[in-house]
Amino acid sequence: MNINIEKVDNSTIFKLEGRLDTVTAPELEQVINNEGEALENLVLDFGGINYISSAGLRVLLGTQKKMNAQGSMELINVSEDVMDILEMTGFADILVIK
Amino acid sequence: MKLLVPIFLNCVFVTVFYLLEKKTGFKKLNYILKQILIGVVFGGLSAFASSYGVELLGTVANVRDAAPLCAGFIFGGPAGIVSGVIGGLYRFFSVYWGGGVYTRIACTLSTMLAGFIAAVLRRFMFDNKKPTWSYGVFITVVCEVLHMLMIFFTNMNDSSYAFEFVKGATLPMIIGNSAAVGISLLVVSFLNRDIKKGKKKNEQISQTFQRRLLVLIVIACVVTSLFTYFLQSGMAEIETREVFTSAMTDVITDVRGKSNETLLNITENIRSEYENNKAVSLDKLAIKYNVTEINIVDSQGIVINSTLDELIGTFDMNSTEQSKEFMVLTGDETEFVQLYSPQGIDGVTMRKYAGVSLSHGGFIQVGYDADRFHNMLDDFVIDVTKNRHVGSTGFVAVCDEELNLVTHTERNGKHISTIGIIPDEVMLEGKTATQLYRTNIINEETNFSEEYIYAFTFVEGYCIIAAMPFAEAMLMRDASLYTSIFMLILIFAALFIFIYFLIKKVIINNLQKVNGTLSEITGGNLNVKVNVRTNAEFSSLSDDINSTVSTLKKYIAEAAARIDKELEYAKQIQLSALPSDFPDTECYSVFAKMIAAKEVGGDFYDFYSFDDNTVFFLAADVSGKGIPAAMFMMKAKTIIKDLSERGLSVNEIFTLANEKLCENNESDMFVTAWIGKFDLSTGKLTFANAGHNPPLIVHADGECEYLKSRPGFVLAGMEGIMYRENEITLNKGDKIFLYTDGVTEATDKNEALYGEDRLQSYINKNKNLKAEELLSGLKKDIDLFVGEAPQFDDITMLVFDYKKKEGTPVKEKIFSATKDSLSDVMTFTEECLESFECPMKNSMAICVAVEEIFINIANYAYGDGNGNASLSFGFNENERIMTLVIKDNGIPFNPLEKAEPDITLSADDREIGGLGIFITKKTMDTVSYSYENSQNILTMTKKI
Repeated sequence: MNINIEKVDNSTIFKLEGRLDTVTAPELEQVINNEGEALENLVLDFGGINYISSAGLRVLLGTQKKMNAQGSMELINVSEDVMDILEMTGFADILVIK
Repeated sequence: MKLLVPIFLNCVFVTVFYLLEKKTGFKKLNYILKQILIGVVFGGLSAFASSYGVELLGTVANVRDAAPLCAGFIFGGPAGIVSGVIGGLYRFFSVYWGGGVYTRIACTLSTMLAGFIAAVLRRFMFDNKKPTWSYGVFITVVCEVLHMLMIFFTNMNDSSYAFEFVKGATLPMIIGNSAAVGISLLVVSFLNRDIKKGKKKNEQISQTFQRRLLVLIVIACVVTSLFTYFLQSGMAEIETREVFTSAMTDVITDVRGKSNETLLNITENIRSEYENNKAVSLDKLAIKYNVTEINIVDSQGIVINSTLDELIGTFDMNSTEQSKEFMVLTGDETEFVQLYSPQGIDGVTMRKYAGVSLSHGGFIQVGYDADRFHNMLDDFVIDVTKNRHVGSTGFVAVCDEELNLVTHTERNGKHISTIGIIPDEVMLEGKTATQLYRTNIINEETNFSEEYIYAFTFVEGYCIIAAMPFAEAMLMRDASLYTSIFMLILIFAALFIFIYFLIKKVIINNLQKVNGTLSEITGGNLNVKVNVRTNAEFSSLSDDINSTVSTLKKYIAEAAARIDKELEYAKQIQLSALPSDFPDTECYSVFAKMIAAKEVGGDFYDFYSFDDNTVFFLAADVSGKGIPAAMFMMKAKTIIKDLSERGLSVNEIFTLANEKLCENNESDMFVTAWIGKFDLSTGKLTFANAGHNPPLIVHADGECEYLKSRPGFVLAGMEGIMYRENEITLNKGDKIFLYTDGVTEATDKNEALYGEDRLQSYINKNKNLKAEELLSGLKKDIDLFVGEAPQFDDITMLVFDYKKKEGTPVKEKIFSATKDSLSDVMTFTEECLESFECPMKNSMAICVAVEEIFINIANYAYGDGNGNASLSFGFNENERIMTLVIKDNGIPFNPLEKAEPDITLSADDREIGGLGIFITKKTMDTVSYSYENSQNILTMTKKI
């Protein structure tokens, strides 16, 4: 999985590419945790994500909880397939998806 | 009477040999040997008959010719010839032991001829069969006629004796011989009727002609005979009369001359005595010279002296015609004799006068009574008539005025009636006969009475009678009568045979030719032509028949073309009724082929499916051929399909179809059929067989065998038949091969059948071919076997293929149950899904589910230990359902029992656990768990 981080103003954009599964989800979690408290507005660009499993969802939920405390988080460019999973699992309601 | 013995013997021999021939082993004898044996026996019979006959004029009337004729007619030509030759030779040499010489040559030849004629006629006229008795009798008559004619011809120098002989022998010989032959033939035909019941044959044309000809000839014969009879009778009479006249004239001339001479001499003597002494007494002179009357007449014609005083001086010689004739003596004549005639003075008294002139004028007339000068003439008359013959055996007799015989030495003085001649008025009046008389005269020497013909005349007081035997007088008449009848018979016989052969040549042979050709035509060969051109009638008959046949041929060809066209249509309709849109799904395929024979037949196949799960397929064969079979096939096909649609089992389909087809099946047609009903979901094939050939089943593992089951009775054969249902489960890859008997009963030119073994071996060798190739290959194999023999029956073949899944077997792989294996698991999963052609969206959902379950197992199943997890993917191509089974040997755990997370909570309140199973349950169509054999088995399906 490739993760490109761009910082625009106070927003940090994580551009993700690849699968977000049991193997890769911990990597994303690690990268987000590395950014630490500095993150204010986290933008996850899902344009390159075509697969997400419950491990990925777990990272999204954990990150969302964290960002609720220190800023905001939003998902952009979510593919239809991933969106189905998000909706199915009720994540569409708790995440900000643009 | 004596002839009856050989006739009887002849019949006996014929009967004996005929029965020998028909009823015993005699007929097995060599033909030639048999003919010779019979010939010898009948030759002996002929010889016997030759000497056992009726004596007739120094020879024997016999039935010698009958035996050769019988042998030839009844037993065959060679036998006839042999016996004819033997009989003839016997007759020839019989002169040395008392046989007659007179007819030797004629009899010998005619006996040989009889055998020869019988042989030739049997061979050429009677087609080597026995003639009927009437023909036999007729030919015998002809033979005897020839015999008689030969007697004539061999004795031409003595024809009257020959004729006498023929006249006597003809009737007995003709009757005797024809009786012998006729009776023999009758006996044989009677025996023959016993052996094979007589079948009445129609009269032949030649027989009709011959019959008419016979009538005609008989009439002609009678008319000619009558004509000949009357003509010859008249001629004979004239001739006889001439013979009589000439004989009598001779006698008259002689008698009259003698009488005149004698009387003149007496008169001269009286004159000289008178002249010497004129005073002599005339009475004394009359007594002296024994005369009745003497008259002396002067030159004036006045009687001057007479023995009759009343005449003296009173009678003038010129006063009567009779006396006036004597006046010539007053002239130059010196002698005059008058015929014996009535006196001039009374015109009644018969007297003869002679006169001599006197030297001094006048004349002396002397008159004689007949009885006086007869005494002087009798001896002369006897002398004159004694050796006189009339014809060859006739005679002349002389009587005096009282009709007492003068010349018949022994009967002299007796009245003429004593020899049989009764005087009629003409004779009593002393006149010459104007006709011929017939009477029976008894021969003085032989004392035989014989019919004579006679005539008479009177001269000088004598009655002269000329007579000859009637037979002699009529000899020529009878001879010509006989000859003409004989010749007519011969002519008729010749005509008879001629007409027979003429008709045979002109009509019968041609008719047979025409009949021969006609029977060839009726036998089916319309291409032959009648070609009899010997005459105009047959030529036109030939042309008529030929044109009739060619017209017929044209009509037949037209009708055949029309029927061919209709059959062609029927065939097309029939073929179009067979489904040609062959299903080829992922699960099964059907392919079929029907090759119709030239004539439309009753084969059919069918397949259909009314829902997604069931397929019917069947093959059937209607008995018979042609339009009826095709129509019956349509009916059967429709009924079976209708019944199939009702969801019945195959046996019920056949049971009901049979009932329906039996209704009003007056043409007695029937159908053999095999139907299969295949359940796609279970692989179960139920089938029923109504008298049809068992199909072949080609197993997926390569074995090929006949799917034998106890077949039921044919459909439409009998009402009330119950059919059995058979069941078999097919494995994927199994094939069913259905066919009709056109395949197994294809026949080569040596009548050998293609047969089940050849079929099985062909299918076995080619089982891996596609259905289409398999069937066309099989057809080629059959064609190769059959060779040039025409295709006799429809050939129908159907292949049902329960398809094996290509590239989609269950895919299974075992992984180590750790997180590290995940990428391998995912790669395997993706490969499988790709092979199923799974859409992207479903592919992700399935991958998510695999990951969730696998990670679950990796995390929890084996605790801290190690273990494996297996994934197996199945795919139903037909329904596009993917089945995934994941197994592990870890602690029993049913993930489906885990509580579902509450997905309505806010992010902060959410628990992350259980989400994987939740997603799996949501995205898969079915998820089930079981624990078997220490394995957790989680089965998921999803339609993709």
